[in-house]
Amino acid sequence: MSFSRRNFLIATGVAAGASTVLSACSSGDAGGSGANKAPSVDKAKAATIAVGTKADSTGAAPEVPGAVKGGTIYTLDQIDWDHLDPAQLYSSYEGACSVLFLRGLTGYKVDSKGTTTLVGDLATDAGTATDGGKTWAFTLKDNVKWEDGADVTIEDVRWTFERLFASFVTQGPRYPQGWLIGGDKYKGPYEGKHLDSIEVSGKTITFKLKEAHADFNFMLAMRGYSIVPKKHDTKEKYDKRPFSCGPYKIDSRSIGKGATLVRNTHWVAETDPLRNAYPDKFVFQFGFQSLASTDRYIADQGNDQFTLSLLNEVAAERIQKVMTDPALKKRVLTQVDTTCYYFAINTKRVTDVKVRQALNWAWPAQQLKQIRGGALSTATATTIISPLTPGHKDFDLYGKKTKPTGDPTKAKALLKEAGKEGQRVVIAMQQSDNSVKQAVAIKSALTKAGFTPVLKQVDKTSFYSQIGQLDNEYDMFAAGWGPDWPAGYAVIYPCFDGSQIADGGVNWPQLNDTSVNKAIATATAETDPDKAAKLWGDIDEQIMRLAAVVPDYNPIRNYFHGSKVGGVVYDSGNTCIALGKVFAAK
Amino acid sequence: MFRFLVRRVIGALVILLIISAVTFSLYYALPRDPARMACGKVCTPELLAQVRHNLGIADPLPVQYWHWLQGVFVGRDYGGLGNCNAPCLGFSFTNREPVLGTIMDRLPLTISLALGASVFFLIIGVGTGMIAAVKQGRAADKIASSFSLLGSSLQIYFVGYIAMYFLVQQLGLLEQPSYTPFTENPAKWAAGLLLPWLVLSIIFTANYTRMTRSQLVEQLSEDYVRTARAKGMSRRSVFFRFAWRGAMGPIVTIFGIDMGTLIGGAIITESVFSLQGLGRLALTAVDANDLPMLLGVTMVAAGAIVFANIIVDAVYALIDPRIRLA
Amino acid sequence: MTSTDQQAFLSVRDLKVHFSTEDGIVKAVDGLSFDLEKGKTLGIVGESGSGKSVTNLTILGLHDRHRTAIDGEILLDGKELTTARESELEKLRGNKMAMIFQDALASLSPYHTIGKQIGETYRKHTGASKSEARKRAIEMLRRVGIPQPDMRVDDYPHQFSGGMRQRAMIAMALVCDPELLIADEPTTALDVTVQAQIMDLLKDLQQEFGTAIVFITHDLGVIADIADDVLVMYGGRCVERGTKEEVLRTPQHPYTVGLLSSMPSLDGPVDVPLSPIPGSPPSLLNPPSGCRFHPRCTFAEKVPGGLCSTERPLLKVEAGRGSACHLTLDQRQEFFADLAATRH
Repeated sequence: MSFSRRNFLIATGVAAGASTVLSACSSGDAGGSGANKAPSVDKAKAATIAVGTKADSTGAAPEVPGAVKGGTIYTLDQIDWDHLDPAQLYSSYEGACSVLFLRGLTGYKVDSKGTTTLVGDLATDAGTATDGGKTWAFTLKDNVKWEDGADVTIEDVRWTFERLFASFVTQGPRYPQGWLIGGDKYKGPYEGKHLDSIEVSGKTITFKLKEAHADFNFMLAMRGYSIVPKKHDTKEKYDKRPFSCGPYKIDSRSIGKGATLVRNTHWVAETDPLRNAYPDKFVFQFGFQSLASTDRYIADQGNDQFTLSLLNEVAAERIQKVMTDPALKKRVLTQVDTTCYYFAINTKRVTDVKVRQALNWAWPAQQLKQIRGGALSTATATTIISPLTPGHKDFDLYGKKTKPTGDPTKAKALLKEAGKEGQRVVIAMQQSDNSVKQAVAIKSALTKAGFTPVLKQVDKTSFYSQIGQLDNEYDMFAAGWGPDWPAGYAVIYPCFDGSQIADGGVNWPQLNDTSVNKAIATATAETDPDKAAKLWGDIDEQIMRLAAVVPDYNPIRNYFHGSKVGGVVYDSGNTCIALGKVFAAK
Repeated sequence: MFRFLVRRVIGALVILLIISAVTFSLYYALPRDPARMACGKVCTPELLAQVRHNLGIADPLPVQYWHWLQGVFVGRDYGGLGNCNAPCLGFSFTNREPVLGTIMDRLPLTISLALGASVFFLIIGVGTGMIAAVKQGRAADKIASSFSLLGSSLQIYFVGYIAMYFLVQQLGLLEQPSYTPFTENPAKWAAGLLLPWLVLSIIFTANYTRMTRSQLVEQLSEDYVRTARAKGMSRRSVFFRFAWRGAMGPIVTIFGIDMGTLIGGAIITESVFSLQGLGRLALTAVDANDLPMLLGVTMVAAGAIVFANIIVDAVYALIDPRIRLA
Repeated sequence: MTSTDQQAFLSVRDLKVHFSTEDGIVKAVDGLSFDLEKGKTLGIVGESGSGKSVTNLTILGLHDRHRTAIDGEILLDGKELTTARESELEKLRGNKMAMIFQDALASLSPYHTIGKQIGETYRKHTGASKSEARKRAIEMLRRVGIPQPDMRVDDYPHQFSGGMRQRAMIAMALVCDPELLIADEPTTALDVTVQAQIMDLLKDLQQEFGTAIVFITHDLGVIADIADDVLVMYGGRCVERGTKEEVLRTPQHPYTVGLLSSMPSLDGPVDVPLSPIPGSPPSLLNPPSGCRFHPRCTFAEKVPGGLCSTERPLLKVEAGRGSACHLTLDQRQEFFADLAATRH
């Protein structure tokens, strides 16, 4: 992925992910709970996200303790939403904001304790799988309406999924396109043709998949699969002004500067298990860098008391000040991200597994953590699946926890065993201060372990295109991946399945291991969530034994907000603040 | 004068054309692919080709540039995004907004910032410089000169954040910087921009104080100023009608350059005060590899500088009859 | 020159002009006296830095008041100028007394038309209207011999030739019919023919209006042409004075002698080498002791007891004629005879 600003979001923050919410799940002077508990990453434990019942899927959303109705909530963030057409919408930031007006078939219900459940949003429940997970059916709720008062119809739902195939859709997630039978030939509904593998009958829609996908309903909870009204579909232009079936609608928008949402009077609270919709109005403000927003939260004046950020975090320049001041710290929501950053090892070039393992042993995790700003902003990773994603298995194959500065002796021994002492390693890195510092630390550690590291600087804007080329000339390079929904599949399959090796793909290590591929296929089809989780954890360990990557770190997010914003809880399904739960305190 | 203007405007257009071609070439001189940016998370070669087609960058570079020029002069059809009338600067690669529309949306802020600040720094800077020149060598001159030295060594990101912290966040004396169109509410327009104006003024004033002082001191020692006094003209009229007239030329030149630059976008100022002007737009465009936006902003900024220069030359000729324009 | 007990039109008495600079006090003029009648021309001669220009700027009150200390008297038609208020001086300048400067290109404003520059003086002092002032400017330009003055009146100085600029300058100075005209090297920058025309013009105008003229120059040839009386300045002091004939034919001061021998003479033999005065003008910050000319004076050793370097020679004036030198009259006749021989 290209890590310039937009794809940085895509690659890091994207949609679903973590399962558990850290102890500082909610905060704020007003109505927040657990505000005074310090967040501790190490104590975080993975939990599966339960699939809710039909009752769980019925509205209205459970009340947030202490919440009041009315008022206005403001936001301060750096960038505008690039996309609001669900088909083009991928980033968790856009997803976090659009929850107020976009609704999909499924979604994540968050209670005030931070427990997250997969439920039906527009659908009456989280869906029914038959045929071993190859057929999925969803039934549309009654009384769900568009902002003009018209009913959301099952035709709208079919239209939504069919239009994903149109040629102008290039930016959003592309799972159904690959999964639905006949998807490879279909060109979208605009020429009047339906996709046969999507069937509608009454208020029920049925999807027929090529292969079993036990977590299809989790995948549909991505904001990118929100429903689009057939009647108001303006194709390319829909991106600018989507039609709402949620509690708010877009009242005005100034590209790059801001947007105002007002209540959609046709929304019926009883149909919506996810959104409390307490404020009368949301005012989004764009163009504020994190330093600017952080300083305003510190000052906490005027409307800024009713303001929160969905993308901006506590600025690096102020993080010490904020996190050591209890009064400020309780207004920060701290959350470990489900993204894992790792150094991919090009297995086509570094073919000897012992050499790859030696790289893992030699890794200077401690030094790198310090360069990145210490424990307040990153957590060392030893696995590919984040500790917060279902399927995480706690292992540390290469002694990162016991010897955080690296174990050159062990690495040397392995190299000697392989007969590759002094092995040359070409490491590609982006041109930036921080990556240069990190590269120097890596070079020094690898040299100590008997490698001959060679550093190659690559222009930031083309870094990800270059490492995405199959015939690239690098042995090792930094990459990162956040799962699109909270499941091992979303972590492992795109990045480590042999079938995903392609130019521009994200199987950066170009790993094509028969036993890994087979294990992925088995886990994908496993319908029992607990069993599946265990399988994915084993695959993680299996890949790490092959040492396809050196896991590096999981970022820690610190979201700051004003003193009168209540109900700030984390939606660990979509990995963002659950905007449907916030309220303006009196 | 008319011939001069016509000639210079034609020259300016040629320069702008060259700048556009150079920008276009430089953009592609780096190994980057804007299509990758607009190509989802897993970017297959087929999808990439589709994106290239959608963005209109599948053609060879000269053809792309030719299309861009066509857009500017006769307009262009953008299919699903609609028709784009001349002068058409295309659509942003990232948010698919019309470039010209976005620039026009940001320009009023940038112009307000530049004009408002210039009122402050001209009045304060030139005024202080005049006092310093009149009171040459005495206390008032020394104070003004010291402040001007101090001011010129300050940086916006330093003064800006400090001013924000004390004046806005701690004392609440000034409003959080924001932009309200003048036509909508002049009072709010001024209130929201007051802080950026003041901070920009601090930086710029110093230059004008020094310049005005040194120019006036030089002019006041000119023979023709002495002649005017020998004719019985009063100090005041000698100062304004003779010395100031001569000092104006260089000040106008610097002012023209400053205005050109400021309208091209005050990147640091806009960033510090979280204002959405052309400067921020340029920054975002560079960051996002957004060629049409980058090209559009570059053209506007270059245009501002080029035309500011023409205006400066014309004004200079009006001030000093020795400079002939033909 | 008149006797001192009678009131002259312009009377300068023991004038001292001292500037304070960072390095100390500069004694630019150090005790200068002279008188001038209406209709007469006084030529002041000296090298640059001799104090001749400072004297005249001081008469007009154009010196820097914050840095300059003035002592002595300047009486114009009985009015004391050194103590006059700025507003009174403004009324006199350009009106009763006017000045022509050396470099007309630099001295005329490049930003205003010739007509405007002439006219504004007129308007300032007479309260005339714009059109009257313009008419007057055209008339003045015609009088100083500018062809097609009604067209040239709207030209800028840079559109004029050097000679025309100097004429315009004179027109500007004379626009209010001043009674005193100070001309500070008005012809130095011009070629000889133009120089002669300008001189003639000044003479004609003087005859017409009876203007008193102070003519500053370092060129004795010009003095010979225009002056009635001559005053030779050196190091801020007057070293010799007298009528034009007296000073030029029978110079009494070695400096005057030096000046005369450094100028070519048309009617003298061509093979006589010019003998410029060796050395450079004195520093006015630390002027030489005794006679300020003594470091450069070839005759200083002829005075017994090193008097020249210890004692200031007094200017003894009798009937307008005088010089400040320690040499005896006999010595002078003996030493200066060569000069007379070569020049005549």
